[in-house]
Amino acid sequence: MDAVTVLAEINGNIATVGYGLAAIGPAIGVGIVVGKTIEGVARQPELAGRLQVLMYIGIAFTEALAFIGIATYFIFV
Amino acid sequence: MTTQHAQPTSIPVFRKVLVFGGFLALGIAIVGMVVGGLVAGGTGVLSALIGTVMAVVFMGITAASILLANRYAGRESAIGAFFGIVMGGWLLKFVVFLVLLVLLKDQPWINTIVLFLSIIAGVLGSLVVDAIVLFKSRMPYASDVVLPPAPHDD
Repeated sequence: MDAVTVLAEINGNIATVGYGLAAIGPAIGVGIVVGKTIEGVARQPELAGRLQVLMYIGIAFTEALAFIGIATYFIFV
Repeated sequence: MTTQHAQPTSIPVFRKVLVFGGFLALGIAIVGMVVGGLVAGGTGVLSALIGTVMAVVFMGITAASILLANRYAGRESAIGAFFGIVMGGWLLKFVVFLVLLVLLKDQPWINTIVLFLSIIAGVLGSLVVDAIVLFKSRMPYASDVVLPPAPHDD
């Protein structure tokens, strides 16, 4: 079976693929933010408070992409 | 001599983020409800209200989970508990967000465009509030420890 036939057989809601795509970027971003924060806290535990704040703003900006990406489900389907 | 761990200095900052996020939600909800009402009537008002509440609550869960996780500060398993709670809360909130979207999508009393736009307004607004609160907050460097008392001069 060639690729075109396989693709033609796929059915369902294409928005589910959109969710998968919307999840990739924030997943990588939050992984990096949290991983680096763990490194920082492990090196200097007394800086945990400052690092938490920086981690929070990093997560907030990254997850905003995910929220907007997932919410497009409302308008593009 | 051992150093005693105090609560992280980020706690007041996150409390402030949550409080100002609440005020922002109120503002966006009022504006959104007026605009939604003008555009789509009763369903627009309801959609704007639900969208704003969803955006601000889901954005605020991160700060709330950090506040919750900070209760474990100073314990042996503090780092594991902290990241477990924060990341677990993050995962849970996205699952709930997805389920809510699926449930709300086909409801007759929802205007999807108004809901979508108010979610975006809520997300962007709470980002602005977060950034302003965090950049205005003053936190000392090395601050999460209580220094041991000075020795007495005998």
